[in-house]
Amino acid sequence: MAVAVAVAVAMLTGAAAQAEPIPNLPPYGGAYQPQGVDERGLWMEFDEIERSFRDSTVVINDASLKAYIQQVMCRMVGTARCETVRLYIVRNTSFNASMGPNGMMIVHTGLLLRARDEAKLAAVLGHEFAHFELRHSLLRFKHSRTAGDIAAWAGVAGAGAWALGGRGAYNSVRMAQSVQNAAIGSTYAHTRDQERQADLLSMAYLRASAYDPHCFPDIWDRLMDEADATAQGRRQRSTRYDRVSFFADHPTDLERATTLRGLAVAMNKPGEDGKARYDTALAGWRAQLFADQIKRNDFEGTDYLLGQLAGAQWSTDLLFARGELYRTRGHPRDLAAAVGFYRDVVARDPTHAEAYRGLGLAQLRSHDAAGAEALRTYLTMKPAADDAAMISMLIQ
Amino acid sequence: MKRTLWLGAILLTTAQPALASNTLIVAQAPVAVAKSPMTVTPDREWNKMGARPGRNSESWTIDGDGLNEVTFYGGIEADRTLFREVSKRTMPLPRFSATMLLTDIPALFEASYRIALNTPVMKIDTVAPTTFLGHKAVQFAFTYSRVDEEVRRRGDAVAAIIGGKLFMITFDAPDIFYYQRDVAAYRAIVATAAIAR
Repeated sequence: MAVAVAVAVAMLTGAAAQAEPIPNLPPYGGAYQPQGVDERGLWMEFDEIERSFRDSTVVINDASLKAYIQQVMCRMVGTARCETVRLYIVRNTSFNASMGPNGMMIVHTGLLLRARDEAKLAAVLGHEFAHFELRHSLLRFKHSRTAGDIAAWAGVAGAGAWALGGRGAYNSVRMAQSVQNAAIGSTYAHTRDQERQADLLSMAYLRASAYDPHCFPDIWDRLMDEADATAQGRRQRSTRYDRVSFFADHPTDLERATTLRGLAVAMNKPGEDGKARYDTALAGWRAQLFADQIKRNDFEGTDYLLGQLAGAQWSTDLLFARGELYRTRGHPRDLAAAVGFYRDVVARDPTHAEAYRGLGLAQLRSHDAAGAEALRTYLTMKPAADDAAMISMLIQ
Repeated sequence: MKRTLWLGAILLTTAQPALASNTLIVAQAPVAVAKSPMTVTPDREWNKMGARPGRNSESWTIDGDGLNEVTFYGGIEADRTLFREVSKRTMPLPRFSATMLLTDIPALFEASYRIALNTPVMKIDTVAPTTFLGHKAVQFAFTYSRVDEEVRRRGDAVAAIIGGKLFMITFDAPDIFYYQRDVAAYRAIVATAAIAR
């Protein structure tokens, strides 16, 4: 019995993550059809989800942006592979992307805001495609089912041992509980291993592509810093990156950054970042992405993010977004800072009506009478603005 | 006998929440709302929901809170959220500040809805000046959809800052049918809103 339990526990928990080499790209067979009852069922379920998701209000139907991201996908994983993917861009401020087992890919606008350049976006898209290519959804489903069975039968065995009683009953129940814990833990460990495999395969795509592989670890560094900034702003303890929790479904960002950096250095492959193309494609969406991010009520995280996007040089739209962020929080010192940001914007672009609006409102909220003048300028520039009547009332 | 007593006690304890839940608001009678000095006189019957969205607020509905809902915010104090936090640790709601301008109220409302409902599909459509409770006020219209639900919802709101506290009445309903049918009843409530001096 004890041996059987030990074997079961070892099978379920699996070996600890080892530093694995980057795999060779698996052969790709083109239009793949689901095999077996489990996979067919899973695909059918996701086909149904996709059908309703396609017409959802949260999906952005911008043909040119969609085409661009599809192109990035093709540059990353190759034309044959990328053609199987249906892409959905979703208005969601969190950094995320996901892939259904049937080839439905979801990209959040929060990822587009944080990716900064094409290579980083490509790395994440490659990671998601790797889940698809390695059929991770199916394997996870099967693993969870097996682990669920083991946990249930261990429960029955434990209850039986307790009912029978006798000297060994206590130890048998404890053993059954250990098996249950191992079974439950193994489903999360398995998911974390899948994430590691997807990271590795994404590195394999990066190696075969024109992109710089160093882009991938950078993403996780910045995400950790942003999460730290958010936690600090909310006076919370920051996430620990040196260990994974029992229920974690991803490895820690630190582990991913460290592993991927090691692989990128070992690969020693130069590449492009495609920043110019990325900025051009996202130009029409930046203002919307900033506005959505500011409404998350995460001052420090957003300020960090804007600073990272700006780098050494604050562009006009980033300065304006920063002004809006500070004015929204609205502490007296924030309002003073916001006035400074808006002034910088109008100094660079005297036709920026919205900056005059922000400037005027920030000044009015600070009891600075000069705000009325800025708001009058706004109304002169945009007499038909949606809030023209409201602004007129404020300056009366 | 003992069993009857026990049964009675159980019935009493289970009946309490039911009693405390929805109450009928009769038409044409002034009623104080949201534990505040604000009173309104509805032109039709409403149901007051037992569950309050937050400390200084209450909700009325005709057919159910997802179908037509009027919410009264009766004096939200500085550094308070509009309604109860949904997830204070991961998604804290923005807080009202007494120094806010009237134009900041629609933005506060939008951010609160976006975070509480976890939806990016929320938009303030129009903002206009008005008078509410005898003070300068802002009225605004908004549209939104909840996550995993394709119903387009539409709403109106009117808000004033009086003595550093936020007084607001909002209405929201599905755009199809309910909004058009019930918005007049909401406007009748707003038109009769008064505040005790």
